[in-house]
Amino acid sequence: MIDALWGWPPPVLDPAGPYADKVTTLAWALFGMGVVVTAIVCAALWLAVRGSPRMKALIGGERTIWIGGIAFPGVVLLGLLVWGLTLTASLTQPIRGDEMRIRITGEMWWFRVQYLNADGDIVMEDANELHLPVGVPVVLELEGADVIHSFWVPHLSGKKDMIPGRRTLLRVQADRPGEFGGLCAEYCGSQHALMGFVAIAHKESDWQTWFDDRTTRVARTEMLAETAPPDAMPYPGDAAAYPMELGTLERYDARRGMRLFMESGCAACHRIAGTEANGLAGPDLTHVGSRRSLGAGILPNNRGTMMGWIGDSQSIKPGNRMPSYDVLSAEDIGHIAAFLELQK
Amino acid sequence: MKSETGFDHALYDRFPTEARPDGEVRDLERIWASPKGWRRLTAVNNNYVGFWYIVTAFGFFLAAGVLALGMRIQLAAPMQDVLGVDTYNQFFTMHGTVMMFLFAVPAVEAIGIMLLPQMLAARDLPFPRLSAYAYWAYFVGGTMFFLSLFVGLAPDGGWFMYPPLTSIAFSPGINTDFWLLGIGFIEISAIAGAIEIIVGVLRTRAPGMTLDKMPMFAWAMLVFAVMIVVAFPSVILCTMLLEIERAFNWPFFDATRGGDPLLWQHLFWFFGHPEVYIIFIPAAGLMSMMVATVAQTELVGYRLNVLALVATGFISFGVWAHHMFATDMPRVSAGYFSAASMAVSLPAGIQVFCWIATLASGKIRWSTPALFVVGSVVIFTMGGLTGVMVGMVPFDWQAHDTYFIVAHLHYVLMGGMVFPMFAAFYHWHGMTSSRALSDHVGRWVFWLMFAGLHITFFPMHLSGLMGMPRRIYTYMPGRDLDLLNLISTIGAFIMAAGILLFLIDCTRRFRFTVDNDVGNLYGGGTLEWLPTGLYSTRSIPVITSREPLWDRPDLPREVAEGRYFLPNSATGHRETLITSPLFAEPQYVQLMPGPSAWPLSAAIFTAGFFLSLTVQAYAFAIFCGLVAVVSTLRWVWETDRPIKQDRADIGAGIEMPIAITGPQSHGWWALNTLLVVVGMIGFMALFAYFYLSGINGEVWQTPPPLGETVVILGVEALALLGAWGGRRVLALRSGRMAEDLPWIIQAAAAALLTGALWLDVTGWLESGLHPTESGMGATVFMLSVLQGQVVAVAIVMAIYLAFREARGIMTTPTNVTMDIVGRFIGYCAIQGMVFTLVPRIFPGG
Amino acid sequence: MTSSSLMAGLRDHPNEIDRMGRFAAMKRVGVASAIVLGLLSACKNPIGSRYEPDDAAQERGLLAINEAGCAACHEIPGVAWPKGRLGPSLDGFDDVGMIAGQLPNRPDLLAVFIRNAPSVKRHTTMPAMPVTQSEAADIAAYLYGLDDD
Repeated sequence: MIDALWGWPPPVLDPAGPYADKVTTLAWALFGMGVVVTAIVCAALWLAVRGSPRMKALIGGERTIWIGGIAFPGVVLLGLLVWGLTLTASLTQPIRGDEMRIRITGEMWWFRVQYLNADGDIVMEDANELHLPVGVPVVLELEGADVIHSFWVPHLSGKKDMIPGRRTLLRVQADRPGEFGGLCAEYCGSQHALMGFVAIAHKESDWQTWFDDRTTRVARTEMLAETAPPDAMPYPGDAAAYPMELGTLERYDARRGMRLFMESGCAACHRIAGTEANGLAGPDLTHVGSRRSLGAGILPNNRGTMMGWIGDSQSIKPGNRMPSYDVLSAEDIGHIAAFLELQK
Repeated sequence: MKSETGFDHALYDRFPTEARPDGEVRDLERIWASPKGWRRLTAVNNNYVGFWYIVTAFGFFLAAGVLALGMRIQLAAPMQDVLGVDTYNQFFTMHGTVMMFLFAVPAVEAIGIMLLPQMLAARDLPFPRLSAYAYWAYFVGGTMFFLSLFVGLAPDGGWFMYPPLTSIAFSPGINTDFWLLGIGFIEISAIAGAIEIIVGVLRTRAPGMTLDKMPMFAWAMLVFAVMIVVAFPSVILCTMLLEIERAFNWPFFDATRGGDPLLWQHLFWFFGHPEVYIIFIPAAGLMSMMVATVAQTELVGYRLNVLALVATGFISFGVWAHHMFATDMPRVSAGYFSAASMAVSLPAGIQVFCWIATLASGKIRWSTPALFVVGSVVIFTMGGLTGVMVGMVPFDWQAHDTYFIVAHLHYVLMGGMVFPMFAAFYHWHGMTSSRALSDHVGRWVFWLMFAGLHITFFPMHLSGLMGMPRRIYTYMPGRDLDLLNLISTIGAFIMAAGILLFLIDCTRRFRFTVDNDVGNLYGGGTLEWLPTGLYSTRSIPVITSREPLWDRPDLPREVAEGRYFLPNSATGHRETLITSPLFAEPQYVQLMPGPSAWPLSAAIFTAGFFLSLTVQAYAFAIFCGLVAVVSTLRWVWETDRPIKQDRADIGAGIEMPIAITGPQSHGWWALNTLLVVVGMIGFMALFAYFYLSGINGEVWQTPPPLGETVVILGVEALALLGAWGGRRVLALRSGRMAEDLPWIIQAAAAALLTGALWLDVTGWLESGLHPTESGMGATVFMLSVLQGQVVAVAIVMAIYLAFREARGIMTTPTNVTMDIVGRFIGYCAIQGMVFTLVPRIFPGG
Repeated sequence: MTSSSLMAGLRDHPNEIDRMGRFAAMKRVGVASAIVLGLLSACKNPIGSRYEPDDAAQERGLLAINEAGCAACHEIPGVAWPKGRLGPSLDGFDDVGMIAGQLPNRPDLLAVFIRNAPSVKRHTTMPAMPVTQSEAADIAAYLYGLDDD
């Protein structure tokens, strides 16, 4: 089970960065205003209906409208408006241009995540999760690939739509390490409900290590694919933990999985850097083994869910764009899963 | 008081006159009688049409409510598969669409048609056949639209239908077309009703009922109808654009070819947000009237309240983009729309405190309507406050498209419309039922609905803040949303129980009647509580105050004895008194059409036309379209009947003309209102043109040569001259039947317009522009499509005019039909000139 | 515990055996050998006695189920999500006739099946799962403990 990334406490009121934090303050003020005004109206209503004749006479004139309906709300609204506009202005400071940039594209029904270098070239691609360093402002370039989606990680900031033909910019910044969940917030068709996302904030140094590791790992896979001869890969993890008492057990073979992946059609939609798999329709699987979830934030990432997703993603996320590969045998799916697990 | 029309106010002193003979009542009854049996369906009296209208609207409320219950069951627990994703998406789309288009707007329009004539003491609304048409179009179209759900073809793109999700690439089924054509068509019905209401409120008030003595509901309906006339063209245009994009691949919303998905959002919300106030304002009018009755005192702050209604209507056209804060708007625009959204809550505050002050200044009589009235003040206030919250841009970025909004909008709409409507059911059902509903049961209904509402929607504020987006068919377990959703589901069923109880009470006690009603159950003071029959009040009283029944206890008796205006049928036909718009001074007697099957047939075949288009049965669509046009013409044919008499005694020896033309006639007002609608569609289309040129100027190309433009303008100017000249020629022939020249001039004008359009279209095509290739092509040729539509109508009108001439019923020196045709063709020419000029002179980029 | 008692178990379900088709005989040899091996490694519960797993084992079982992702293909009571439908629902497992239509329905055999289904039943849609022996036993314990009739 994926840990609760949101829920209680409400992420809108539990900010993890400056762009959400100010809004939380505003939200509390607004709730306070709401409670006070509701109380005033209810009290006035009560007095109007049940009050003493003197009280009723006091309320029962146009003065009440001028005070309660015009002056009071006028002052409150004006105050709020000034606050709101100031806050809007401070949250939409012009982008300097030298911030770290990550491009996130909403697709039916997942998020493509591309890390950009200073020149705007894509240096690494991932899906459905965003790793960002704590304390560093990041500019997200949001795009819609097919229909309109909306990017929303409430711990970090308000939402922003991902619109085909446009590029919207959203600034986020995390002030503490952690994992912050999000969901697509614009109705985008059938599986809108299961289009999840997670932002993972690392300490800045950890993030750098992670980033370097990832980029070099790509190179390693490349080398592996070109040079290493096909050979039975050991069962992932500690082999000793899996004493195979039944002599006929087939160990999953990542090499074979790779071949199956290329031959069974997976590679037509998915890309794995350093291999011949270069499909662009589906999520990039170069780092799928290290993702915390599958199916756009809806499944934990383990052997069983990987196999289940490949074999029958349609029963888990009906209508998603990946067909159920139930034509593959269980063993073959196992091989592919073993291969994908290695794509860290 | 200064006279508005030259009518001598001293004449009012002649009333009440002596009692009139009873035989006149029997004449009225005979003249206004409705057909019996199956032919009852051809009735056009507002008593029938209004009642059918309300029942149908309420039926759709129930149906959409059942959809909501289905959704609540699906969401009661995480990852359930009760409805399934496809059905759920159709359910929520239909719930929103049906509630907005098939319930809320028609319901308030229905209440207007039901109450307004009686409230204004008019015999009926000025265009009874138009009401009947509006009703039947709505009934047939709405029912067919709803039935699409049962064959799995219901739209599933959300009630807001954002492209590109709803474009052919992502919604290849005909589900979306059902929405576009079904709704486009129901909007026509809403506009027909709105025109009726504008003219009704401004021109058929009882003499002496100046604007500041009008019942608050009439004010509200006036604002409501004006808003419909301004707002609905926008959605009509955007449904046309999307349907054309889907059917013919014109890229209005396709970003890859110079369209823009946000164009839809601007057009849709320019309608969509005023829509909310369109629903709320009439209900607020009802509230103001009921508050006064409940407290048995005049409304405190009448003028402020009117001001608030008008201000709401006005400001609500400046807030549409607050639905789009998350689309990365420029900061300045966001600030403006935020400020406007805050400002629009001020008038609401004024009204709430008007009601509070009124309750305080009187003595409240607790009853079911009183409970609903007070309850809705509380609910509406809470909804309004969350509205203020989401008007704050930064907070909206968090709350937008979450369950917080679901909570907000349901509080606003339930408190602002549904609860007042229930209050109104209870308050006014005495007008049309021979038995009263149970007050005891009514209180149960109220408390169940009130409690159910809070239990359902209050937790949604929290689930929204906890990250639950809207329009999701399910949610993941383990996110603390389970309990909140379960509570909401339970609340929904409590509310449903209250409504069920209401239905049970209605079946047990409600008995429809037109002449034997229980009457004024709660002691209202306005004219609808005068004794009435199908002819409305026996005579039309002179009004001297806002609550005439409280101020003049003898009034009902005097009215029933025929001691005021029009105590009989002055011409032997159905008729009503047309009064001036400001001071309601009598101006002339309008002859009104009686029952007819033609509006019914026109409505059924208009619906048939749209639905066969949806299912791509084009041949049948053409057939239906032709029958609809012929039915309409046949129905209109009878409405302009020359009669021998040209003046009539309207009581106390005061004589008034019958059926006049020109700026004082009600037909002139209605046509002008219709032209505003058509003009708004054109205006929004021009907006689309400019908008896309601003966004995607790089696809804009150079226009055809200037010389060609001048020629087209010249042809159109000639058509304009013809349209004007036709009327002049008719006037020259004063005293005898017109001959062929006037209609030939109009026909020539229509032909010139056709030619100009052809020149315009071919000119653009020769310049290399093509509608499927770019946003420019799509919008330029869209202007031609719109022009083509009005030109087609102009041609039909010219032919119709020829027919009337051939039958010798074109009266001189003036003639209503000629008036209308000339004016319409003149409008077409002006629109043609604008549509020709703008894209040829202002190429964007 | 002998192979004859196992064969007796199989004889109780003659229809299941008939269904095995042309290669039934060949398969049966494989199945029997697998079962024998399986029983050698886990023969704590005599046939016929009600299996009563302890609570701690069940708890560990649920954890292992979630970690292995069994629910991606099976609906499993107690696992709210996912509820895959590629494999059969595992609700009321001890009422199911036979495991995968071939194996006598017993926790120990189930544990074997979980770890390495293809070796027991060729061409099964159930893949071998990366769980340790004790995890498999816990999972079996969980599945048998679901039904408290």
